[in-house]
Amino acid sequence: MTGGRVAVRTVDIRAPVGDLTDLGEYDRVRIYTLSEGEVLGFAEIATWGDSVSSRRIRAALSDALDIKILAAGSGMSEDKVVSLFTNALERDLTLEDGDWDDEPSPLVDSVSVSIVVATLDRPDDLRHCLTNLRSQDTNRQVEIVVVDNNPSSGAARTVLKDFPGVVLVEESRRGLAYARNAGILAAGGDLVVMTDDDVTAPPDWLEKLVFPFARHDVAVVTGNVLPLELETQAQRLFEIYGGLGRGFERKEADAAWFQRSRRVVPTWRLGASANAAFRSSLFTDPGVGLMLEALGPGMPSGVGEDTYLFYKVLKAGYTIVYEPSAYVWHRHRSNMDGLRRQLFDYSKGHVAYHLTTLLRDRDLRVLVYLGFRLPLGHARRIAARLRGRSQYPLRLSLLELKGNVTGPAALWRSLQRVKREGTSSQRPNNRVPD
Amino acid sequence: MRAASNPAVAGSGQTVGDAGGAFRPVKLVDIHLEQAIPNLSGLERYGEAQVLVRLHGVPLESVRVPVVNGGCSALSLRRAVVESAGRWVINHVVEDELAAGVVDTPNIPRTNTAKHHVRQPLPSVTVAVCTRNRTEDLAECLEGLTSLDYPDLELLVVDNAPSSDATERLVASIDDIRYVKEPRPGLDWARNRAIVEASGEILAFTDDDVVVDPLWARQLGETFAESDEIMAVTGLVVPLELETLPQLLFERAGGFGRGLRRSWNKIEEGETWHLGSGRFGTGANMAFRRSIFELIGVFDPALGAGTATNGGDDLEMFFRVLQEGHVLVYEPWAIVRHRHRRDYDALRKQLTDHGLALYAYMIRSALAYPELRGAMARFGLWWFWRRNLRRLIVSFVRPSRFPRDLIVAEMRGALVGLTRYARARRDASRLARAGKA
Repeated sequence: MTGGRVAVRTVDIRAPVGDLTDLGEYDRVRIYTLSEGEVLGFAEIATWGDSVSSRRIRAALSDALDIKILAAGSGMSEDKVVSLFTNALERDLTLEDGDWDDEPSPLVDSVSVSIVVATLDRPDDLRHCLTNLRSQDTNRQVEIVVVDNNPSSGAARTVLKDFPGVVLVEESRRGLAYARNAGILAAGGDLVVMTDDDVTAPPDWLEKLVFPFARHDVAVVTGNVLPLELETQAQRLFEIYGGLGRGFERKEADAAWFQRSRRVVPTWRLGASANAAFRSSLFTDPGVGLMLEALGPGMPSGVGEDTYLFYKVLKAGYTIVYEPSAYVWHRHRSNMDGLRRQLFDYSKGHVAYHLTTLLRDRDLRVLVYLGFRLPLGHARRIAARLRGRSQYPLRLSLLELKGNVTGPAALWRSLQRVKREGTSSQRPNNRVPD
Repeated sequence: MRAASNPAVAGSGQTVGDAGGAFRPVKLVDIHLEQAIPNLSGLERYGEAQVLVRLHGVPLESVRVPVVNGGCSALSLRRAVVESAGRWVINHVVEDELAAGVVDTPNIPRTNTAKHHVRQPLPSVTVAVCTRNRTEDLAECLEGLTSLDYPDLELLVVDNAPSSDATERLVASIDDIRYVKEPRPGLDWARNRAIVEASGEILAFTDDDVVVDPLWARQLGETFAESDEIMAVTGLVVPLELETLPQLLFERAGGFGRGLRRSWNKIEEGETWHLGSGRFGTGANMAFRRSIFELIGVFDPALGAGTATNGGDDLEMFFRVLQEGHVLVYEPWAIVRHRHRRDYDALRKQLTDHGLALYAYMIRSALAYPELRGAMARFGLWWFWRRNLRRLIVSFVRPSRFPRDLIVAEMRGALVGLTRYARARRDASRLARAGKA
């Protein structure tokens, strides 16, 4: 393409650009662009025949130099002219009249919500949480469903005496996924919101969390989780580990995001079910369904019930939005034993979750991740610590490694337990009558 | 617990892979920046709107906007336009203003100043629609054709081996459309008949499942007017609707669109980048200077829908135009809308045909141009790896939202396509003899 004879011509942007002629002997023409004696640059095009049309020259010049030309023509800098133009575009694009000017459109009030709170022998937290949920600022119909994961203690039943209207569901099979599923099955709302008994939500939390559902394509919304206090070393370390929050930028994930990556899908970056809302139709979609009982707290696997649900949601083609303005405060474990247990569970569950996507969804990306990237990540962090570039204690890194190694066995034990106790849908409604 | 009440799920009637549940139709809209941006309502069924942003009829950018509470507000559309298409508005405005030599106003021109700088005269154009037993679709197609705005236009319907007179009666009911019957079955018999029958200097082809943009003929004519060297112009094909999952899957498989940027194509000695000629466009939107057929010959009747190869005639003609040293322009300003197959089985068949047609075209061209056999074989292998084998392997590595059986269907088509040309050639010779007798 670079061979042959090249003609040289000039064009002044202050004169109409006409056809170029007498090009019969040339293969290409290079057009230098002038503005008041200054050369802005050039474009080069192949010539066929004797002339090149004005339209083709203009297209080539605009593709090569449009912003420069605009800046030179109006005597402004390039940045200035682009921002002026963008403003002009906003100003000049007229809108058809209508009663739609309340932007952005909120979710209509007729959409009802069920809030599912799972609890396990923490009556004080539960009482605090319910008081908090009751004071949410909303006009929509809200149903609160409390799932007691240890009905024999009767703790939740006692608390609920003070909260008439709150639905109690009992699920004696231990495990957060069992408990949440029982709540989902008992919920009647168009949306199912999940939270924990140890969080505190500001009064506008619920509305901010459900707001993105006005968009038809959104099926799950997750929110930010901030530390209620950072009083102890354990609580600070948990935040260094990564905490539960997922940042202050809005983000979303869809099937394209799910599929594009050659690496495993980092669903854990989308949030957690301590602060998440779901369209209830998801749970009857054969491609999604309920939470996998073998994953999550209360099971040997430790965690992963929410991330695996996100995985299925994305795989089925729905969109997940992370909405940081819908934040809650979470009280992290205050002592080191609690933190260690939690990190150990996270490490087991992380591997259990990946193995689940491998076994159930044939996601072979997992092999590279578990065999290579995950150990590499640990090695890097340990190396950073040894060089003094990280505050994260070596002991916790080793604990995580141990958790990762025991992950497969933990998943196996969890699956065996579910086999014994049955899946959630096999015992559909544990709703306790009022 | 409520039952799922998504009408799109119930309506599609076909669960494909795991992607069925989340599917919602996509609404296709054009926004003309010279006019007020509308509030779109009544979109309860839709998940998002796919907006073609246009200025002076020129497609600048395609933007996806989520549907919120049953519609898209003008404000949300404007935000999307400014964010995604702003860059291309600048590009177009500069191109436009260079025509007048006044590049100093950073605003949106309401009138197209460049319109007066189009080369005159515009060539006469014949639009030919080759159809076979699809009278229902054809009616909508013809309606679009009669609303074309062009100074010197002839409309021609070539009815290919029809099994009834429905098409003939339809065409008779519309003024100013010529009807011609071509009894030999095979799209290229019909296309070649159009070459003989047409009176226009330019012959533009479109399909019976297509609705043309009102500016289509004008954009083709203006591009041909640019230079006598331009022998072929292909245009943009966008979907007419994305109401069903198979239609969306067809777009995901690559669709017919070849982007919104124009390209001027001519092959220098020894270059082979034109072998994958599907990149230049498709038969639903292609036009030729009629004199080219005297120089390089007509369509090969062994290719094309209705033969054993079931397509590839368009690819082969693009290739031949370039191989013989002529200029082919991809002109996205010339727009048609294609109704993709609505149901899954028809989609699978179409993808099989795509594989088949491509490899039949390659065999045909390798036979016709022996010096290109090596290059064609390399391209054929590379494409088979890139398009078929690699996608198939990836579908095993990670869950895909594109059903594997469609990948397999196209791959099967490619393999079968290698053997089909010889048979199609024999069929064509027989028909040619019968035609003479």
